[in-house]
Amino acid sequence: MSNLPVLPVFRRSFGDSWRSLVAWGVGVSAALLLYLPLFPSIGGSGQMQQLIASLPPELVRTLGYEDIVSGVGYTQATFFGLIGFFLFIFAATAWGSAAIAGAEESGVLELTLAHGVGRGQYASESVLSVLARLVALGALSGGVILALNSPSDLGISITNLLAALAALVGLACVSATVALLVGASTGRRVFATSAGAGVAVLGYVFNALANQVPNADWLRWFSPYSWAYHEAPLRDGASWIGLALLWGVSLCCVAATAVVLRRRDISG
Amino acid sequence: MTAAIEVRNLAKQYGSNWAVRDLKLHVASGSVFGLIGPNGAGKTTTLRVLLDIIRPTSGTALVLGVPPRAGGPALRRRIGYIPGELRLDGRVRGRQLLQHLALISGSVKPGAIDELAERLCVDLTRPVHALSKGNKQKLGLIQAFMHQPELLILDEPTSGLDPLVQREFLVMVREAREAGQTVLLSSHVLSEIQQIADEVAVLSNGSVVAEGAVAALRLGQIRHVQAGVDGESVDAIRSRLSGVPGVRDLQVFGENTVRVRATIDGNIDPLIKALASLTVTDLVIEEPDLEESVLQLYGEVGSASPPGVVKTSMSTADGRRPRHE
Repeated sequence: MSNLPVLPVFRRSFGDSWRSLVAWGVGVSAALLLYLPLFPSIGGSGQMQQLIASLPPELVRTLGYEDIVSGVGYTQATFFGLIGFFLFIFAATAWGSAAIAGAEESGVLELTLAHGVGRGQYASESVLSVLARLVALGALSGGVILALNSPSDLGISITNLLAALAALVGLACVSATVALLVGASTGRRVFATSAGAGVAVLGYVFNALANQVPNADWLRWFSPYSWAYHEAPLRDGASWIGLALLWGVSLCCVAATAVVLRRRDISG
Repeated sequence: MTAAIEVRNLAKQYGSNWAVRDLKLHVASGSVFGLIGPNGAGKTTTLRVLLDIIRPTSGTALVLGVPPRAGGPALRRRIGYIPGELRLDGRVRGRQLLQHLALISGSVKPGAIDELAERLCVDLTRPVHALSKGNKQKLGLIQAFMHQPELLILDEPTSGLDPLVQREFLVMVREAREAGQTVLLSSHVLSEIQQIADEVAVLSNGSVVAEGAVAALRLGQIRHVQAGVDGESVDAIRSRLSGVPGVRDLQVFGENTVRVRATIDGNIDPLIKALASLTVTDLVIEEPDLEESVLQLYGEVGSASPPGVVKTSMSTADGRRPRHE
């Protein structure tokens, strides 16, 4: 075949979802613009330090607020560790479940696969499309953080920011690819969404437990949240093991998605 | 003639339920082949296997000489398919949707989409979620026909279409045959199949119970007749009609206007002649539903399977909720 189209599934799913990308972009920017400018008056003030000292240490550790008095710690605690984490996970899970399970439930998958598109091709182009949207969301976050860096006195270095963004996008990618895999296996959107969000929430809980309970550090091995943030990439630079775990698990899910989708009957 | 589709001993099992069982099908190249049967007979399952959307439990299929799974995307580019339950949604406009599907079909001639849209009278500038069922179905037809595929596999292609568009569709199918394309279509509307198909297979409960040339199968030979008759007594009318050849299940009842109900088997002319001698106030002649035709057909064609099997299978199909609509 001489004139096969380039990435037709990717182009369509990316084209169909730009509204949702814009909406999530607005949400992420709003969160950043709401929190980061407050740092000089909240995190940096002595009052905040007193407040943190008066809180139960378990709560502070759960929220990751130990380091909130520095600009880096504040950005990590408010955005990367909490609001940004949840926004990215929700977006990733929604996109990951829509790509295969959602398409199958709406009948689009049957029509697409009845044309000149292979199952493996559909799976890989869907992954690419979700990944592209997550990277776009990450780039947008990076841009907004950089823009606020000096006005808000955050003191974040660009390399560390890139490391933290790679961790955040990787963390979202784990949820997205788990949702894709479960969607490809079951064809049910509700299962895909539960799995994608479940992995993230469980990871968050394991991380919080490991912070609290002595000798529970092993829990971090099962927490994508810990893989992303335990080594504090925004403060200390990239954690290569953490990034390898995040992106490696995502890659395994992608491969499994393609295998599973190729074997299964598509229901209408 | 070579076969466009050759299905041997196809079976598909869902749990303990066999959707298709020991199905054989031979569709000659360049012919129009009709698949009829009640809802749940296995038509959609069979067609989906041919597109590699589902995989059979056992048996083989060859589509344009290739097994569907091995043929992959390259094979599917040579096929135009409309799913039995076409659902289109989203903000995407008709034209964009078709252009996307054209990317993943065989090559579409410039202007083909507009030409088909004009023939079927559908507005391509509207978002697909705002289209009626009939208009969505037209988009489905356009995407199946637009790349002039060697093989058209159409699952209930006329569902939701108004009669004018149905007629245009029949013209499109005839043109496809003249152009050498093969058409396999399913329907539960008998008359549609009778009008366009060269050959038909009747499916019931997952297997072919009868097949052959449309003319040879003598489909649709029974009619239900209802009439209102004035000026004669019930007994007089009954005695006049009961002797008419082909009339059975005759019911005559009523006081002032007498109602007549009957089933006629074969030539309808003697009954019309007999009624013409009476004062007829109204007259309805109906085509029987498919199941009845199939039962009757079975009685005449005979050899497909033992009578008991057909009887039970038909009653099973009867009890099921229709999948479409």
